[in-house]
Amino acid sequence: MPSTLIGADPASAALTLDGLTVDFAGFRAVDTVSTVIESGELRVLLGANGAGKTTLMDLVSGKTRPTTGRVFLGDIEITGLEEHRIAQAGLGRKFQIPSVFRDLSVRRNLEVASCRNPGVFANLRLGFSLAQTRRVEEILAVVGLESKQEVEAGSLSHGETQWLELGMLMAQDPKVILLDEPTAGMTEAETMKTAAIIKAMRGRHTIVVVEHDMAFVREIASRITVMHLGRILAEGPIAEIETNPDVRAAYLGSKGIQ
Amino acid sequence: MKLSKRGLNTAAYVVFIALILAAPLVFDVFWLNRLSKYLVFGMLGAAIALSWGYAGVLNLGQGLFFGLGAYAIAMSLKLASATSLAQGSDTPIPDFMLWNAEPGAPTELCCITQGSFLWIPFQHTWFGILMGIVLPVVVALALGLIMFRKRISGVFISIITLAVVLLVRLLIVQAQPLTNGFNGLTDLGYLTVLGLEFDPYMPQTYYLIAISLALVLIGTRMLVETRSGLILQAIRDDDRRARFLGFDVPRYQAFFFCVSAAISGYAGMLYVMASEFASPTFMDLSFSITMVVWAAVGGRNSVLGACIGALLINMIEATVSETPALMEAWRVVIGLAFVFAVLFLPRGLAGLAMSLRDWLVARSAAEPRSLAEPAPAEERS
Ligand SMILES: Nc1ncnc2c1ncn2[C@@H]1O[C@H](COP(=O)(O)OP(=O)(O)O)[C@@H](O)[C@H]1O
Ligand SMILES: [Mg+2]
Repeated sequence: MPSTLIGADPASAALTLDGLTVDFAGFRAVDTVSTVIESGELRVLLGANGAGKTTLMDLVSGKTRPTTGRVFLGDIEITGLEEHRIAQAGLGRKFQIPSVFRDLSVRRNLEVASCRNPGVFANLRLGFSLAQTRRVEEILAVVGLESKQEVEAGSLSHGETQWLELGMLMAQDPKVILLDEPTAGMTEAETMKTAAIIKAMRGRHTIVVVEHDMAFVREIASRITVMHLGRILAEGPIAEIETNPDVRAAYLGSKGIQ
Repeated sequence: MKLSKRGLNTAAYVVFIALILAAPLVFDVFWLNRLSKYLVFGMLGAAIALSWGYAGVLNLGQGLFFGLGAYAIAMSLKLASATSLAQGSDTPIPDFMLWNAEPGAPTELCCITQGSFLWIPFQHTWFGILMGIVLPVVVALALGLIMFRKRISGVFISIITLAVVLLVRLLIVQAQPLTNGFNGLTDLGYLTVLGLEFDPYMPQTYYLIAISLALVLIGTRMLVETRSGLILQAIRDDDRRARFLGFDVPRYQAFFFCVSAAISGYAGMLYVMASEFASPTFMDLSFSITMVVWAAVGGRNSVLGACIGALLINMIEATVSETPALMEAWRVVIGLAFVFAVLFLPRGLAGLAMSLRDWLVARSAAEPRSLAEPAPAEERS
């Protein structure tokens, strides 16, 4: 296990970041970020635009290679692996701009996500197992898209697309899930429904979520990590964060947390 | 009666296959031979649909795989021809090699011209047939792995495949002593399997091609229905999403690229049997582009649609080409049909058929009760 994090209980750590850093031609978008996310935890990542939250998720999920630092999923090191290898190791990710398979039906989207075996030859067979079908139906119910299961994903509304992508993550069933602004561009009612879906995912997965909506954060968060200029500024339960003077100064401005 | 999409899709395949198998009852040998060439083009249409429609890979060099398949079997059939056996040597040798040979060169495949030894294994017909599939697949695998691992996509794939087909065409034309250059391989023998001779004007050749097409259509359709086929379509829609779900995207793309190449190589072999020649024109850019037009007009998202597109266009062209003035106009019509299909009918003729199918399904479902269901997603056929 990483040396800087002695004291963390390795048995219960789902995701460990150890001094994660990335340099974009001299600009440190993420700067020596270290944190341990416990198994089953729901961690909220806060920070102003440009703080490095999305880049941090890119580093963890393999989209971008870190300049230095290491990432562990459970006790497996996943630093610098290809995206699909990291996914196979048990990491799922939702993008800020929702991405689904537009020309496939909602149901097909979930079925594809539920193909546990990644190999092209292993998947040369027709149909899905009973367990898979049952799971897809459960997920359709959780994300509320039962009546739209035969609709092409490309014709869903913005909110529905986000929920479908959450459903695809449930079907993929990774240990750790990264969610980048899952409520961006949603109405208040949609935001609340999304909060309910994420709560439903909570028992099964360890979740890291980037979110700005404080009502939403209060609704779901256990611990919060605040990022500022690529670094971790503060970390702790919501009450502590709200009263932290550094956080107030750097991120929340004079207004404080709304 | 309740109609289902799946039922109507299956019916379309059954009717089409029944029609092509019944064609010998109606057509004379001359037309049957023509039709068999069009069926081969239909097979190419299906190969294009697989790579363009299902994988999102617009290959502008499909003629490369067709040409490799054609040349592989043509080499064997050339060595099996009467003239190759009558060149005054114990073993067969193509006539054009003698015309091109240096004075005094031994009349043996081993050393008559530089590289002529490559022809030696083609004396076994089975080797030519094997190579007709293996060569296109190996080339597709190498090309595919390079392109897809480097995450090349869209128009860049089209440009690379286009460049490769032109390069190989140039090599074949340049290697005149080995390939007979521009003239291609002509004066071929018939393929003989277990004493059955595939004379292009005999029904057995037609049936071989028609049954092959039927199997390719059914096989391709089933392939895209498998989990891998679904994942392939998912990759087409959003390769990044697929990657982050854990799929090794380049492997999927390369696998289906190879299947498309194998179908094209097989089509090339069948074409040689029906036309009795192989020529560098198979690797002309215009031919590869014509294949794309067939698929666009017939419907690139439909295996059967793209196949029927190829058949229809070629049948109309054959009728029209009897009048030279019409032939000129036909080129314009084909160009316009392509533009029209791309702009207004992205699903091609198959799209129209699918709309009709969905309307029939909806109507039959509505009969007992009014329909209150949302519009269903189009399934591919
Ligand atoms: N590939 C890249 N090259 C250069 N700079 C980048 C790259 N990706 C992100 N950045 C920069 O890193 C900073 C953090 O961006 P980002 O992680 O998207 O912030 P957040 O998601 O917290 O709003 C921004 O200033 C952005 O411009
Ligand atoms: Mg961001």
